[in-house]
Amino acid sequence: MQVRVLFFGELKEIVGRAEDSAELADGARIEELFAHYGGRYPELARFRASLVASRNREFAPWSAALQPGDEVAFLPPVSGG
Amino acid sequence: MPSLTEDLIRIVREAIEPEALVRHVRAPADGAVATFDGCVRNHSHGRATLYLEYEAYEAMAMAKMREIAAAIHEKFAIHQVAIVHRLGRLEIGETSVFIAVSAPHRPAAFDACRFAIDTLKRTVPIWKKEFFEDGAVWADGELPAPPASAGTPSAKVAS
Repeated sequence: MQVRVLFFGELKEIVGRAEDSAELADGARIEELFAHYGGRYPELARFRASLVASRNREFAPWSAALQPGDEVAFLPPVSGG
Repeated sequence: MPSLTEDLIRIVREAIEPEALVRHVRAPADGAVATFDGCVRNHSHGRATLYLEYEAYEAMAMAKMREIAAAIHEKFAIHQVAIVHRLGRLEIGETSVFIAVSAPHRPAAFDACRFAIDTLKRTVPIWKKEFFEDGAVWADGELPAPPASAGTPSAKVAS
């Protein structure tokens, strides 16, 4: 299945793009999607403890199972305001 | 209770006009408008800041800002709210976020305005990069609390 992945802030700079699409096994979880990118970008993996994930624009646990077409983002600590 | 005009929730790239937002929320039945004007400070952690750049996950940020508006209507006896956040490059002294809350009485207006900015800073996916003479850093931010398990609502309002 395919999911859409968004990167913001420092993560966007590490990955070098704001958006990607990833091919995953059916039933894959957010954790596995992150590991997929962590393998490609070791610098990204270092951020794991300071990130939260979102699925379809709602905060989601790392254990959340993905569906085809989901929009997933890895969000650095927010600093708006 | 339906109101004559609606809450105003926006993400913009141009200068924010606070007076227009105050006018938007106030109505004859209101006795108070509380506002919060978040502005770009000229220093951070002891270093002189030159300017800031803000970016957002816009679709989610709008959804989270709307949730904040809904939450303050539920928690406080207010009339209306405007929440506007600006993105892009902002110079020292410019307004990055402006919140206006109208209410029949001031305690609700103050409390709701405070709740709105505090919640925005914890939950709305917006990031700022600080530019200094000798480089730039992404600001230390706050980590939104992730839900404990799938299907758990992320925001619960205590009764």
